[in-house]
Amino acid sequence: MLRLEGFACGYGPITAVHDLDLEVPAGTVFALIGANGAGKTSTLMSVAGHVAMQAGRMLFDGRDIGGASPMQRVTAGIALAPEGRRLFGDLTVAENLTVGGYARPKAEMPRNRDTVFDLFPRLAERRGQRAGSMSGGEQQMLAIGRALMAAPRLLLIDEVSLGLMPKIVDLCYAAIDRLRADGMTVLLVEQSTQRALAIADNVCVLESGQAVYRGDAAEARGNPAIIDAYLGLADAAS
Amino acid sequence: MLYLDLTLQGLIQGSMYALIAVGLTLVYGLLRILHVAHAGLFTLGAYIAVTVTNAAGSLLLAALVAVPLVGLAGMAIYRLLYEPILHRPPFVALIASIGLFICMEEGFRLVFGPYGNSFDLSPVEGSVQLGALSLQTVEAATIVAAFGLLGALAVFAGRTRIGVAWRATVTDPEMAQSFGIDTVKVRYLNFFIGSALAAVAGVLVALLNNFVEPTMGSVPSYKMLAIIVLGGLGNVKGTLVASLALGVMESFGTIYAGHIMDRDAIAFLFLVAVLMVRPQGLFGKA
Repeated sequence: MLRLEGFACGYGPITAVHDLDLEVPAGTVFALIGANGAGKTSTLMSVAGHVAMQAGRMLFDGRDIGGASPMQRVTAGIALAPEGRRLFGDLTVAENLTVGGYARPKAEMPRNRDTVFDLFPRLAERRGQRAGSMSGGEQQMLAIGRALMAAPRLLLIDEVSLGLMPKIVDLCYAAIDRLRADGMTVLLVEQSTQRALAIADNVCVLESGQAVYRGDAAEARGNPAIIDAYLGLADAAS
Repeated sequence: MLYLDLTLQGLIQGSMYALIAVGLTLVYGLLRILHVAHAGLFTLGAYIAVTVTNAAGSLLLAALVAVPLVGLAGMAIYRLLYEPILHRPPFVALIASIGLFICMEEGFRLVFGPYGNSFDLSPVEGSVQLGALSLQTVEAATIVAAFGLLGALAVFAGRTRIGVAWRATVTDPEMAQSFGIDTVKVRYLNFFIGSALAAVAGVLVALLNNFVEPTMGSVPSYKMLAIIVLGGLGNVKGTLVASLALGVMESFGTIYAGHIMDRDAIAFLFLVAVLMVRPQGLFGKA
């Protein structure tokens, strides 16, 4: 569904990621893992259209979207739950969801909202609350829910587990699992290797802006030496 | 009775300030620009009201021309002046805005003459009786227009899809764009609404004073800057409260301290005093 070929991205004269090839097949979960500053978030933000692509090609459903604006990408079916969540803090939960569905026809909204509330019942209880006043876990659910309002075919999620209690992380991953079962394609960035390997179909380990390992998550799960070799003990804390 | 009357007079003045200041705080909230030339749009609204009324004999027609036309002028200022320098540091836009404001004042002087204009026939007369209080019709209209329009703006921002998109864009333009909101359209909308409200204030001031002159915007221009700082830059509710508070303060001040200093001096003394105690404004930034 998403394919990067010889991809490089960065900020102005600085290159954050270079010469990356990866393919995210439809209906799968793909995890980008690696240490801080390895280029995971830059890659994700570049797919969303916020970080400039510097070389290579980016294909979505076979269409080159490298030059598309963030708006065109959400219309094409790519939605983002960004790092730090970046909710509209002064807006209520319901209003955040309204913005999430802005690119879709108005008539579709109630149905998409029901889907989100079904996935995260907590959001339905909190629909009138200011997003900024919710707990970290609720904010993460809302960030994912807001992205789902765009009815995407490819969902981008950055740092699912960062700063959240293990129970909430379980809840978010259960939701991602359910989305995949319904046919959603997910590209996620995760600092916790264990978490990422537990859910992903494919993984790519980034180090200093380069892919150092790419492959089947099941294989990596079965052979922890593969991941250890690239990430060392960086993951011990999680 | 005197207190009530003074409060009412203060609210009239304050609602006038609110109509002008809201546009300014909206621009600041969205673009972080101190839009000094906004006061020039207020003057433009006043001049159009007098000129069209005198030419066509209809105040209603004049208002219907002035308000949308000034709204469009606000959009043009965004497109021609601010958009090309948005990526520069904020003081560049501030200086450009001050420059434009001076040009506008000189423009009014050239086009309409330096001595000011009045309505040939005073288009609104009479008064309204509110219990024991008596108000000129124009004064009553000012309060009704300010509360009505700002109330409508609150409903628009809070209840409509476009209003929600507008507030989202103020919070985080990049994310708003990411969900398909056209942030450039939001800016145009923002300038149109803010400028149109300033034009309404201009029409009302022209009627209240039955006089418009080229520099009628200069005192409001810096008073409005002080008000939006007081209200918490970009904070619309704070701006409303600050406007009304300042109006009431001026109204009492001119009676009790008017022999020491004039109205504007009292206003700025109040602003300085409040900002010394609360430099972040009454309500903090939006």
